[in-house]
Amino acid sequence: MDAELSKTLTRCMQCGTCIGSCFSGRVTALNTRKILMEYMAKGTPIEDHDALWFCVTCYACQERCPRGIPITDIILEARKDLARRKGLPGRLKNAFSYLEKHTAYVPGKEKNVEMRRELDLPVYHSQFDEKARKEVSEIVSRHLKEVIG
Amino acid sequence: MKFFPGCMIHNRYPGIEKSLYYVFENLGISISPLNGSSCCPAPSITKSVSHDLWLEVGKRNIELADNDTIMTACNGCFTTLFEIAEKTGRGDVRHVAEFLYFDVGIDRIRRSITKRLPLRLAVHYGCHFFRPGEYKKFTSQERPNILDELVEAIGSQSVDYRYKMMCCGGGGGVRAGATEVSQDLLEIKLDAISDEDADAIVVICPLCLNQFDNGQKELENSRNKSYGVPVVHYIQLLAVAMGMEPELTGIQWHSISSTDLIEKLVKGEMVEE
Ligand code: SF4
Ligand code: SF4
Repeated sequence: MDAELSKTLTRCMQCGTCIGSCFSGRVTALNTRKILMEYMAKGTPIEDHDALWFCVTCYACQERCPRGIPITDIILEARKDLARRKGLPGRLKNAFSYLEKHTAYVPGKEKNVEMRRELDLPVYHSQFDEKARKEVSEIVSRHLKEVIG
Repeated sequence: MKFFPGCMIHNRYPGIEKSLYYVFENLGISISPLNGSSCCPAPSITKSVSHDLWLEVGKRNIELADNDTIMTACNGCFTTLFEIAEKTGRGDVRHVAEFLYFDVGIDRIRRSITKRLPLRLAVHYGCHFFRPGEYKKFTSQERPNILDELVEAIGSQSVDYRYKMMCCGGGGGVRAGATEVSQDLLEIKLDAISDEDADAIVVICPLCLNQFDNGQKELENSRNKSYGVPVVHYIQLLAVAMGMEPELTGIQWHSISSTDLIEKLVKGEMVEE
């Protein structure tokens, strides 16, 4: 993990404000304080911490932490490690292939283009502009290669 | 000004864009599409894989605007471009809700509508509109009031409800990556909203719109729960209040349709000169 982020972890006083603010933690096994503790102890999220993917990144915990620990940012950082080791869960896998190919997580289909025409709107997202699409797709490919090899 | 649509507005909710152009024309503010712009890219799921990818694609989008103001109508696009602009010191990025509130002003909005919309509305800000406060310094991180006031400016009532500041369950890649969890959160939120008998849920983000709107259909199928509360983006309501045909907002394409709401939008309450 990013050295600066991991330094902030040592400020935690185990007050539990983060968990108390977390709606996702009420319906799932997501336990921010525990994740942070483990992160501190081992420097890496434990193997089966799929709960990291249950964070909606609402930033409520980060906003309220009395020690100013960037909790949500740390969760995102921890996900990177997890994604490298175990891959992405559910339909998230497809999302990145769409981004790489169409330069859109949510690509437009013919029917969507039709809706735009009906409203008399131009079609100008990079997905539909070959030069722009190539340019962005190249950036995405380059970074994904670094991540997944 | 340049309008940055992002994937969701460009490819799923073009009516939001149509409404925004109508409103801006009405206010005499010139705006045109940011040609060749791509996915912003969505902050949380992109950062979950590569921070550098997020930064480089985001920077390209900002550079396309060539220092012109970039207008967004999506909390995800706003977050990505706004954060990158702050970090790099390059780019002027706005979210239409805070722009309307701070630059246009409630008084002028009130004066520029042709009909009031006497609706009971459940407003949902969407987490990334007002958090984290490290970047979003323009409002309270616990109790923002921008959207409530905007809704009241068009003659509607913003009803209070439990869990108003809770996430819709659509963020952080949870909708795609952990669908069950996303539905659990949505259910809590919708149970609370349906207690208040609202005419519609008002959002300022197409991802929240998608989660509330298509999510209701999904809850109907998977959990046999039916709420039937239509969901709209604030700019769609404002455009109608300024005189645009409700059909041009594209709400007839949303999953949860309500003839009751459309009738109320068509009729409204005339504003006397
Ligand atoms: S709110 Fe901050 S200080 Fe308190 S337990 Fe959570 S991370 Fe630690
Ligand atoms: S950002 Fe994630 S961990 Fe923090 S309160 Fe929100 S859902 Fe919970």
